[in-house]
Formats: sequence, structure tokens, C-alpha cells
Amino acid sequence: MPPKDKFNSGPGGPARAEALAQRSQLALDTLAGLEPELRAAAVISEDGEVLATTTGDDGWGVVAVELLEALEKAGPGELDSSHITTEDAEVFMVREAGFALVAVTARFVLASLTSFDVRMSLRDIALEAASGGVSGA
Amino acid sequence: MLKPHRILADKISSYADEASAFMRRRRHHRRPYIRLQYRDGGATELHPEDPGSEEIMAAVSHLIACSP
Repeated sequence: MPPKDKFNSGPGGPARAEALAQRSQLALDTLAGLEPELRAAAVISEDGEVLATTTGDDGWGVVAVELLEALEKAGPGELDSSHITTEDAEVFMVREAGFALVAVTARFVLASLTSFDVRMSLRDIALEAASGGVSGA
Repeated sequence: MLKPHRILADKISSYADEASAFMRRRRHHRRPYIRLQYRDGGATELHPEDPGSEEIMAAVSHLIACSP
């Protein structure tokens, strides 16, 4: 699904989108500092736009968007979070105020702690976006 | 008083019990799963081999394969 440009539209749109991407990148850097087992993570907007990734590669974010879409199709309700484990890694997804954060970690991390850190990182972005702290205009 | 061979047999069987419990725990912890939580407080656990989980597991595998 091609990402849409919700944050690029309207007055000050491109500047706001840039500020939001920078705030998301900062949140991911902080998360990477908190979680030494983090392999990769991405922040995704409500419209499926990749705002930031730890890999610096938007392609990874697009794959994360595909996972998000698959998860949303799986259940009847509005998805809040998910935790998926495989034999190779663990994947955490949290939604907050329209934003989503998808994180891949090594196996056997403390799930509750990682979920909490992921949610707090995303909440920081959502709060700042809501308060206009990333308006950049 | 227990005979020496009984002490040895008990010790070996207790080690075997410990090993089997370890393997059981390990198998349980390594079991892949998908856990979904919803805004209304509900939660679902899907088995990765269920037909409805195929798309999720394919996306997850792709994501992990692309991860550094």
C-alpha cells in the first residue's frame, strides 16, 4: 500500500511532517537505548506512512506496514497491541492515537517490559503531535 | 537405611526428572504464538498454524528476515 501524505497537506504541512518524522526518530533512538535487544523498529502514521525507522531504510517500514494490515484483518475489534513470537525473534506492535510502533527484538526479551517501553515511546510521539509540539510551522 | 544402590538410583532418577522438566519448559517457551489485544480489553491468542494466521506469519517472517 503506498503511503499517503496526510501530514504533508494543509498549511505548514511539509514542515509539520518533517517535525513529526524527527520526533519519531528521536523516540526510536531512545527506545533503542532502552532496549539493547532491539533489532529494528518503525513508527507508522494512521494513514500507513512510515515516519521513522531505526534501520534508516523506509523499505523495512513498508514491510512493517504490511504486518500491521495483516494484524488488523485478523480480528473483529480495533487493535490495541500485539505480541508475536517465532523461533528467531519477537515482534511487538502497539497502537496509540492513530500512530503505530512495530518493533522486532531478539528472542526471550522480557515481554511486559518491552511492551511498556514501546508504548511509552509511542505515547510521547502521540502527545507531542496532539499538543502541536511538532507543528514546526 | 537405604542401600547404596538405591541412593544412586534415586539420584539418577531425580536428575532425569530435572532434565525432562527443563525440556518441557524450554519447549513451552519456544512455542511460537500470536497474541492480539483490542481496545475494548479483549484479547485473542492465535495459533501460528491456523489457516487465519497464515498472512500474519508470512508478514512476520518477511519482517524478521529484513531485520538487521
